Parts: sequence; structure tokens; C-alpha cells
Amino acid sequence: MSGPRYDRTKRQDQRLIGFECQACGWVSFPEEKRTCKRCGDAPAEMEEVQLQERGEIQTFVVQQYLPDDIETPQPVAIVDLPQEDGDGEPARAYGLLTETDLEEIDVGTEVVARFRELFSDGERPIDSFKFSVPREEKA
Amino acid sequence: MTEPHVVGAGMIDFGELYEQSFDDLLESAYLSLLENVDKGVDPSDIDAAWYGTIDIANEGSSGSAVAHATGLFETPITRVENACATGSDAFRNAAQAVKAGDAEVALVIGAEKMTDSTEGLIASAALERLWRGRGVTMPAYFGMRATRHLEEYETTREQIAEISVKNHENGTKYPHAHQQFECSVEDVKESPTVSYPLNLYDCCPVTDGACAVLVTSEDRAREFTDDPIRVAGYGLASDTFQRGAPEALTNFPATRQASSQAYERAGLGPEDVDVAEVHDCFSITELITYEDLGFCEEGKGGQFVDEGHPHLDGDKPVNPSGGLLSKGHPIGATGVAQIAEIFEQLRGEAGAVQVDAPEVGLQHNIGIGRNATGAVSCVNIMERP
Repeated sequence: MSGPRYDRTKRQDQRLIGFECQACGWVSFPEEKRTCKRCGDAPAEMEEVQLQERGEIQTFVVQQYLPDDIETPQPVAIVDLPQEDGDGEPARAYGLLTETDLEEIDVGTEVVARFRELFSDGERPIDSFKFSVPREEKA
Repeated sequence: MTEPHVVGAGMIDFGELYEQSFDDLLESAYLSLLENVDKGVDPSDIDAAWYGTIDIANEGSSGSAVAHATGLFETPITRVENACATGSDAFRNAAQAVKAGDAEVALVIGAEKMTDSTEGLIASAALERLWRGRGVTMPAYFGMRATRHLEEYETTREQIAEISVKNHENGTKYPHAHQQFECSVEDVKESPTVSYPLNLYDCCPVTDGACAVLVTSEDRAREFTDDPIRVAGYGLASDTFQRGAPEALTNFPATRQASSQAYERAGLGPEDVDVAEVHDCFSITELITYEDLGFCEEGKGGQFVDEGHPHLDGDKPVNPSGGLLSKGHPIGATGVAQIAEIFEQLRGEAGAVQVDAPEVGLQHNIGIGRNATGAVSCVNIMERP
């Protein structure tokens, strides 16, 4: 359980790069795909797009029971990450929240992406993003 | 081409069956089926078998597990795994083979040992993944739909809890149910939080179980019973919220697709369904499923249960057997047990949970896969011939 699995999408994981289907506008993240999950275009013409380091919570839960490696309570959300240039569709993905309480989040809350070490593969840290409510908005 | 018919079912008591091995469960379901076929069935009559399990206990991942438990070594046995739709898809595959005329008498058997795994399903929260469901357990996946449904529609927390109350009440009248207790809306809301907004009594228990049913061609059905039940239609579909559809945040488009296929094959619609066994792994799942199966309008699932339609004495009884919430959810066995219940309901043999003279019954599962990024749904429709 290490090595290639994390290297395959390392660039996307660490730089928030998505891929937009030129037939229907769907954005793949983080996988670079040759088929479109929405319109079924195959082979699909996919163009690289930069996603913003922020997202909007579409829905969320706060988990109380998880394996010991994750602190609880752990809020986790489905977040939409808009494209950098503001055009097109956002990418939709799961996001773990950090330094965030249940009272601070709702459907529609904007969260910012924070670069973190998520876990170790036994030899090296695996880094990517978690999300939190912008600090200036914290009471 | 022939019409597949269900001619027998063998259900066992679901529960924490620590003392029973995986083989024991398979044997029990198989022997129960042999015993319960009206005119009897000889093992040599069985042409082929479909076996549903996700094999959580790591005890019998291939068809040979069923051969060992039944003695059917010369018979083709296919293992089906399709998340929580495993049992229903095993049934669907058997029905297809019978319909095609390739098998005349098919065994469908599902089993799961959920209590043999120390870490349980919590372990499915893919820890070493970045975006594919890291930290997402099953209550989280379904709870996300609850959060959004409460936000988007006039659904209330109490309406969601009411489903658990209804199903636990039904479960006390169903002999094979794992959790046999009644609870109130307040009890549900005051039970420990598992994954906000869902509490313990919104969640199905961790349950061992197995179930078997027998599917035959139309020509052979009356060899086994004078009261066979026809398989009228089936459907199977997948989806993911990652496709970006807004309805995938509150509901399950996979259920809409699978049920549309099944309704079309059967030449029936949601208005024709007299009784249903649907996937209520969590209370919210059943509420959403009312909408996805077309029993009520989108967003009106809360109102639907509030008005009493899916209650045992309502006009659209759902989960008379107590559902997964009360009966339990031994994954590979779940769909097969739902089929067994619909079979009994349509034959008027459902005892204390019998609904009033049903002609058409629907069975439904929705499962999650691909590290909680994918959804898969299977729907089977049965009717009195």
C-alpha cells in the first residue's frame, strides 16, 4: 500500500488540477480520464483546468466513529471546487474539514483549501488538501 | 423464453449468530428452503445456483463455498458481488438465466457474517485515500443526503425518525427480525449521534444471516407449488454524485434508473405496487427511496410517511418485515430476504405483518461502492400470475 497509487494523481492532488470534458463541460477530479462520466463520450476530449483553492459545501455530516487514525468529531463534506478563471463547471469531491465545528458550517458555506500532510504511506508523508472556514470569518 | 417464477423461500432468524459459522448459515438457509417448498424439491432438481455475498468474514468468496455448504458440487454456482445490491442482483441473474431457458430450476442463496470482523464496517472509511472516500463511512454517505434533504425540502428530523419507529414496530411482529423492540421519535432523536444528522436508531444493526429462494421456469413451477409467484421485471443501474447532478445530493438517481427499467419490463408503474421491501440501511434511505421509486413526488418523502401511506395499514405498505433497521442487514443475504418476504406477502403467508391482498410487490436495494463514491441499485418486481 504505497508508491505508485499516490504518484498517479500527485500533480492533481497537490495542485488542484481538473480535466474538463469538451463535449459536455463535466469536470473530472482528480483522475485524468479518457472517457466522460456524465455524457459517456469515449474517447473524450479532456482539457486541463486549474481549480480554485476554495470550495462551497454542498452537503456535510459530522462523524463520531472512525478508525483511530482520524480524530473525531470529524466533519466531512461534498465540496464544489470552482475553476480558477470562474468559467465552466466546478469539480465535485469529498473534502475533510479541519479546525471546523458543526456550528460554523451549513449547506452553501464557503471553505478554503489548506495544504496538509494527510497520512503517511509508511515511508513518506502524503500531502493534499483539507478544508476549513476562512480564518478572518472565525468569531 | 419463459417467465421466471419463485416457488419457495428459506429464511432463517437474523441476529448476532456468533456460534454459527459461515457454512452453518448457508446450510441453514438451504435446508430451510428444501423444507419449505410446498411439494418438495430434490437437490438433484437444481440446475444452477447464484450466490450473493460480499464475504466480509473472508470465509467463502467463490461459488465453491455454496458447494461445500450444500453438496451441489457438479452444479454451476456463480458468485455475485454488487455492494448492498448483492443479494438482489444474484436473484436478478438467476431470473435472467431461467428466462433465457438455460436453467430451469435455479437456487439463489445469500449469506453474510457481519459480526466476525472486529473492526466492522468502520474499516471501510478508506484511510489511505486522498479523495476517494477518505473518512467516509456508510452513515456519513447516507447522512449527507439527510443534511441536504432537510435543507432543500420541508423534510423534518421527526419525519426521518418516524421511519425508524414504523420499521421497529413492524419488526416486533416479524419472527426473523434481529432487533425486536419498539421505539418513539424521541427515542430515535435521543439515541447517540453516529454521524450528524443521524443517530443510532436511524441505523441498521450489525447482523449475521442467510436466505435462499428457488426460481424456476413457468413450465416447471407447478412441480414445486400450486401457488408460484411470477418475476415480472428487474433493473440495475449505477450512479455517482461526482457526475454533478443536483438530485444526486438528496436522492439516488441509480434507484430511479433501476426502477424505471423494472417498471418498463413489468408493464407496471409505481401506482400498481401493493407492497414493497426497500433498502432502509438508514432511516433517510427509505425516505428518499419513496421518491426515487415514484411512490410520491420528489421532496415529499417526509410528508408521505407523515400521512401514514407506508405504514402496515397504509395504502402503500413499505418494509412490513421491519426492514433492515429492525431485521438487520447481512449484506449478501439482505436482498434475498426481501425477495422471500415479498414472495410470502403475495401468497398471503406473511402472518402478523400480512398486508391486505397484495397482487404486486417490489424489492429494492441501494448500495455504495468505489470507496463511497459510487451508488448501485437493483429493483425486482414480482406479481401473482
